[in-house]
Amino acid sequence: MALKERPKPFLLPEYCKGCSRCIDACAKDCIHLGDQINPLTGLIPVELDLTNCNACGLCMDACPEPYGLRPAHEGQILDFELEDPAKLYGVKPSDAPEPVDVPGETLPLPRTEPLVIKGTYASAIGAILAGCRHVYGYPITPSTEGAELMAKFLPKLDGTFIQAVSEVAAVNMMYGTAGAGLPTMTFTSSPGFSLMLEGVSYMIGAELPGVFVDIMRGGPGLGNIAPEQSDIKLACHGLGHGNTQAIVLAPATPQEMLDLTILAFELSFKYRNPVVMLGDGYLGQMTGKVQLPETLTKPGIPRWAVYGDADHRKNLISSIFLTETDLEAHNVHLNAKYDAMKVEARSESYLCDDAEVLLIACNTPARTAKGAVQELRHHGIKAGLFRPITLWPFPVEDLKLALQGVERVIVVEASAGQLEDEVRLALSRAGVRDYPEMESVRRMGGILPQQDEIMAQVLGQKEVRA
Amino acid sequence: MSKASVIYDKFERHSHAQGLKGHATHYCPGCGHGLAHKFLAEAIDELGIQDRTVAISPVGCSVFLYYYFDVGNSQAAHGRAPVVALGHKFANPEAVVISYQGDGDLASIGLAETIATAQLGAPITVIFVNNAIYGMTGGQMAPTTLMGQTSTTSPAGRNEYNGQPMKMAELIAGLDGPIYVERVALFDAKQRIKAKKAIRKAIKNQVEGRGYSFIEVLAECPTHLKMSPEETESWVKDFMEPVYPLGVKKDLATEPWFKRNPPSFKGEKILSLCGATSEHPERFCQGFPTHLALNDVSLKLAGSGGDGAQTAAMLIARAAINEGFDATCIPSYGPESRGGTSYADVHVAEEEVLNPGSHDPQILLAFNAPSLAKFGPSVRKGGYIIYDSSVVNELPELDPSIKLIPVPFTGIATDLGKAVVKNIVALGALQAATNLFPKETMLSAIRIALKDKCALIPLNEEAFAWGIKAVEALNT
Repeated sequence: MALKERPKPFLLPEYCKGCSRCIDACAKDCIHLGDQINPLTGLIPVELDLTNCNACGLCMDACPEPYGLRPAHEGQILDFELEDPAKLYGVKPSDAPEPVDVPGETLPLPRTEPLVIKGTYASAIGAILAGCRHVYGYPITPSTEGAELMAKFLPKLDGTFIQAVSEVAAVNMMYGTAGAGLPTMTFTSSPGFSLMLEGVSYMIGAELPGVFVDIMRGGPGLGNIAPEQSDIKLACHGLGHGNTQAIVLAPATPQEMLDLTILAFELSFKYRNPVVMLGDGYLGQMTGKVQLPETLTKPGIPRWAVYGDADHRKNLISSIFLTETDLEAHNVHLNAKYDAMKVEARSESYLCDDAEVLLIACNTPARTAKGAVQELRHHGIKAGLFRPITLWPFPVEDLKLALQGVERVIVVEASAGQLEDEVRLALSRAGVRDYPEMESVRRMGGILPQQDEIMAQVLGQKEVRA
Repeated sequence: MSKASVIYDKFERHSHAQGLKGHATHYCPGCGHGLAHKFLAEAIDELGIQDRTVAISPVGCSVFLYYYFDVGNSQAAHGRAPVVALGHKFANPEAVVISYQGDGDLASIGLAETIATAQLGAPITVIFVNNAIYGMTGGQMAPTTLMGQTSTTSPAGRNEYNGQPMKMAELIAGLDGPIYVERVALFDAKQRIKAKKAIRKAIKNQVEGRGYSFIEVLAECPTHLKMSPEETESWVKDFMEPVYPLGVKKDLATEPWFKRNPPSFKGEKILSLCGATSEHPERFCQGFPTHLALNDVSLKLAGSGGDGAQTAAMLIARAAINEGFDATCIPSYGPESRGGTSYADVHVAEEEVLNPGSHDPQILLAFNAPSLAKFGPSVRKGGYIIYDSSVVNELPELDPSIKLIPVPFTGIATDLGKAVVKNIVALGALQAATNLFPKETMLSAIRIALKDKCALIPLNEEAFAWGIKAVEALNT
């Protein structure tokens, strides 16, 4: 049997950076540092004299460049410079198949009596029904019960709950699972959400879905653990660095905690973008009646995912666009997506048709405001409530309708005016300049505005006017 | 050695493969990353796992790992590669996930993620390229910069005010999670063979589901050490190796253990976890308790942790919802885990609870004197205060229209042999004093709540009955 002839090395000088690792490796002294700068690279490649070469291969083992020292093809390519590069390298960069969607399924869920559960549980169950089996989180009051329920349920569904070392780690675990194309979420509260924002920016940049349930609490800093609508600004206008936006949902009841969590997953995958759900501490802790839906979702694997299989090998999850024009084009694409999200604007208008006094509120304060509207109507005052369900995009077209015929506008919120700023910005962008001077009922520090305070604002000023 | 087949035939992602960039890496001459990439690529080829591999690119010089590897690629934020790797691994346990990181990424900004992921021990592979300097940002001090070594941020040499260099392989090997930790180098042919073998083994451990493996590669950065590639090799050997000794730091013969079933999407299973049932609860109410309020009854239950105020509040809310009303219950605790204040606001509404807080409740159930003192004065005129007369000796000043109902919750419960049922005694007292719902409504809610602890039902029923009797005794 003939011994297989080992190949000697060859080198395209433009792919040699002259690091000289091969020089050390060669026992036959065949390789020397060159003295000519290669005009293509500006570097000085090594020079080969293969007279004494015994084809030991050590030089090729030592070469760090993939297209540096390589075996001469069957000893033929001596006159390499005349070879067509396409013959040397092939024209196809990869034989990976074109990625495809593995579709998800919608499965029926038997009808049941309503559950009596707290808001965070409702959200967790909503996530499970939306197909989420990967939850990462870090305990923080008042959101922790959601994570606790996931820690209890998910192992029984062969899902994954991991308590991360920090919120920073949690959001990046989400980045990984979302990158693999699967639904993922976290429960957090204001300070924890602040910590996650770097990751949120990366997810938006890399176009990854994921649901963030932020049960807002009093701030700034540690603040306290009582309910405040403290993160409206953050969620609508501060999702980390760069040109970032996400749909922001504001539930008002435990039922909506479930319904909007399911919606959040849908929208998150529809737009390949995170979705933020803002609850207040009351809503997270509040137990109420929750009716389950009639279907549940078994997720598929989207074509863009890096699942770790042959069908998705071609993909890359990254927010890097090194070339300025590429990054600008990416931002143009993101902006188009943000524009497209505007159709998702949702709101509830309660007794707005003939309203002269319009209350604007979201989350738990909207419930209180609804109570105030009822009481005001008993007093013969034509009051109405406009409740944005999406805070971004703001349902400004619905608001324009609700504003018709309105004499007074009162924004009711548990923050220093973060909701009012959203209202003003939305109206301004929509070109609406003509609306009554905005009044407000605001509480901060973990105190929600109460019905009697709203009544006092409406009636008190009315008396003054009269 | 031929190019590994897992290396792209053309680097399309490297500046759109313009000019030489289609086939040249972005690394400087003499950089250690090229060899580390090569050994990683060869290992992937040899193990036949190209399709299953997910490579996590870090931040730092190797940020563009994804230019070269024809595998699933994901690029992580600075320091977060190991947790991104975990996210991929748990999403698809069959994936072979490799977190490739430099020293700033792994040993500085991502230290918490690095340690926590190593200790978690799930089978991923971490390749740590330690060249004792920040390359991408231009030669700043790394956590692994040697004492005395100059950098742009330690211009006089690393000194005691910069702390000691991080010995990551030893640190990781000291944890319980990892199964295999080795430090290797690239400065001569012998070390390169060891490095290649170590990287291959670290990936094989993962393929076999054995656990977390960590390979530290002492690498050269001639550019920022301001030496020739050859001098840098010597520097690594002469100066780095004494601080960072080469060799296996940990190698456990762990049996394969990482095996995860695909997630379940069975509706029935989810419903049973939630405790959802299709059985209609029996209804006993003829209508909303309008003798208490037109359409919304507000209650507050207050005591200290362990009094059972929260459980009682939940029972009232469940009872109301079983009757087809709307109800909410909001708990509130003091900062203490045990013993501190604990109260709950409950609303029962005919159609929809609008204002779920009970700032001026109609009904207060007070389990101790401080709760009564705190919330008694907020009770609405004409409201009810039902309190534990076993422990409350003094009453605060209260509106005369308020109906005061002293019931020895604790005394009765203790007589029954279980102090913990005092909240059920309180519910019995609430029943008798306010007739919020028919008696059977509350009893049914209690029975449903105890359906998994049937043995406790008679005791609770008895406690409820004694609460009713105590109020009836007051009225006679």
